[in-house]
Amino acid sequence: MEQGPDMHEQVEKILLQVRIDPPNILKTLLAIQESFGHVPVDAIPEIAHRVGATTAQIAGVLSYYPDLRVTVPGRHVIRVCMGESCYANGCGRVLRELQNYLRADVGETTSGGKFTLDTMSCAGNCAVSPTVLIDRDLYGRVLPSQVETMLERYR
Amino acid sequence: MVVCCRLRWRRCWNDTANMNSATRLYLFNDTSARAAGAGLLADAWADRPEVQLIRLSSRGAFFLEPMVERDGLDGRVAWFNVAPEDLPSILSGTGGTPVQAIPFLANQTRYTFANFGETEPLALDEYQARGGLVGLEEAFRLTPDAIIEELRISQLRGRGGAAFPVWNKWKVAQQTKAREKFVVANADEGDAGTYCDRLILEGDPFRLLEGMLICARAIGANRAFVYCRQEYPAAAATLRAAIQKADDAELLELNGESFPIEVVEGAGSYVCGEETALLESLEGKRGVVRARPPYPAQVGLYGRPTIVSNVLTFATIPQILSRGGAWHASLGTEQSRGTIALQLGGRVKHPGLVEVPFGLSLRQILEEFGGGMAPGSRFKAVQVGGPLGSLFPSTGLDLPICYDAFAKAGAVLGHGGIVVYDHETDMVDLARHFMAFTADESCGKCTPCRIGSVRGREILERIQAGGGTIDDLALLGDLGETMKLASLCALGGRAPYPVLTAIEHFPVEFRSKLKT
Ligand SMILES: Cc1cc2nc3c(=O)[nH]c(=O)nc-3n(C[C@H](O)[C@H](O)[C@H](O)COP(=O)(O)O)c2cc1C
Ligand code: SF4
Ligand code: FES
Repeated sequence: MEQGPDMHEQVEKILLQVRIDPPNILKTLLAIQESFGHVPVDAIPEIAHRVGATTAQIAGVLSYYPDLRVTVPGRHVIRVCMGESCYANGCGRVLRELQNYLRADVGETTSGGKFTLDTMSCAGNCAVSPTVLIDRDLYGRVLPSQVETMLERYR
Repeated sequence: MVVCCRLRWRRCWNDTANMNSATRLYLFNDTSARAAGAGLLADAWADRPEVQLIRLSSRGAFFLEPMVERDGLDGRVAWFNVAPEDLPSILSGTGGTPVQAIPFLANQTRYTFANFGETEPLALDEYQARGGLVGLEEAFRLTPDAIIEELRISQLRGRGGAAFPVWNKWKVAQQTKAREKFVVANADEGDAGTYCDRLILEGDPFRLLEGMLICARAIGANRAFVYCRQEYPAAAATLRAAIQKADDAELLELNGESFPIEVVEGAGSYVCGEETALLESLEGKRGVVRARPPYPAQVGLYGRPTIVSNVLTFATIPQILSRGGAWHASLGTEQSRGTIALQLGGRVKHPGLVEVPFGLSLRQILEEFGGGMAPGSRFKAVQVGGPLGSLFPSTGLDLPICYDAFAKAGAVLGHGGIVVYDHETDMVDLARHFMAFTADESCGKCTPCRIGSVRGREILERIQAGGGTIDDLALLGDLGETMKLASLCALGGRAPYPVLTAIEHFPVEFRSKLKT
């Protein structure tokens, strides 16, 4: 979503919708991220005002949680599980294949903004590992050789 | 009574199905069964008039997934690792294996996971027909003191990692006077290699809710929360639907007042599984560990007495009330009563959920249930208890799986995760991986963990790059001891164990990378 005057209106609308009692910074930020795909840094003062906290408190929570983003991610977010069961089953090779194929490192978005490559620590799919999560689709027993076909479904 | 009706209903159902000549096929429906292909089968067969698909909670035998079952003359019959084109042989009944004859399942002692593979996760009537809600009824007959006494007799210890006696915590919360009290289920399941909480949330959610209600009745709580990790969207959705159903059935009531249970999702921080960090996070703040005492049972969420317990702990409680504390105490070993849900992962041949009484050896678990190593793999090490758990070489496998034996060996059972590493594993890289994890996840409250983990990672990176010296290994040892002794919570306190046990058992690998 674009960041401009519209953004502030949108944020204001979400803040009114998610009136959480008692005020809750994390839930508020997650609600904003749900709509925008990220938390616009420009919106911090409004959020602070609305939940009755300081901007420093908001920024503190925002930087603390790995899942909260301040930048716009790619259209699809790929997360490779780095947990121990996936590690034992070769997630390192899957990640390297993805890095090569996408020409992006962990945390980066491909040029054109299609994919963001990321890691995660366990999807609870350890018995069917290694695991790759693309948006909300979870893939198990992933082999490096399957990476290309797996990504073809995403536009 | 309920059971009878249910059976009769089943029979009619089968008659109707037979009349339509559609065969009932059971497919399992949790995240992992779907990841293995159960969803693909369901899609492929959705429009076939000759089949009627029933989606049940998973049996947890994931190496067999996607697995399909149908009713046989003497229980269910199963087909393993099924592809869509296998449908004709399933329909003709050729090549199936009776479920009772699958050793991985038949040799387990399933109590908490008894419904898995049998019921539809959101069918409250099926839950009830198989003994659900009897524990809660019992709790309503008993006084709060008597409930807690039953738990004392059961000797149940928390399943989230710290293994603290459950009754003791409840007693403290019960005796603390307050305007409001809370029950919180810890569904953060942060240890990589563990998934039993997820299975309960996705497969038997009413069991968790029943356990939480019993706790609320015992301590006099007014509200409850389930803190569910963000990585479990299907679990959160199923649980929310279960709460709605329980509410519709007027189960969410205590002392004539409504007892709301809310699912709150986390945001990817491992340390938020630690109970005090979890409470901070529930309040919407940074998930930083609080100094204890006071304990949450006295001063918890919003400063009120709060019981934080693991999902599996709550799910174990209904049967302690329905079967009695003494029944639970009769299972397992002296210090570890009841059953343990082990979750096998890594390079074992048979990854999946294994519920057995405490006391079997690691070797028995890996061989009898794990089926040995995956094809092409040779055993190198096994890690028990998640990313903070110790590594064992092949000579350490006779250890019985119970709290005391593990404590004596300087190890932990944690949440029951067991990950097997094979001959291809680079122990130096694995050790680096562990320290990097701690450095990433440290909440930053105390120096030994915050700084120590970063230093530890740097040293291991140096060794890996060929620039380490023998002094670096000594330094890692010292650093580890400091972290063990001086960290505020078990993240810093346990983080050195996998690293130091890797060095202890595989010294040659580390030495061979040192600069000469
Ligand atoms: C770093 C860290 C992470 C933890 N993660 C979890 C977790 O994901 N799930 C859990 O139930 N307990 C976790 N615990 C243990 C909790 O602090 C707490 O002991 C537990 O939830 C209490 O429940 P129980 O008595 O039922 O075991 C963690 C502890 C630490 C130190
Ligand atoms: S040991 Fe680490 S995670 Fe635990 S309180 Fe200290 S800094 Fe935080
Ligand atoms: S370790 Fe990757 S899904 Fe659990």
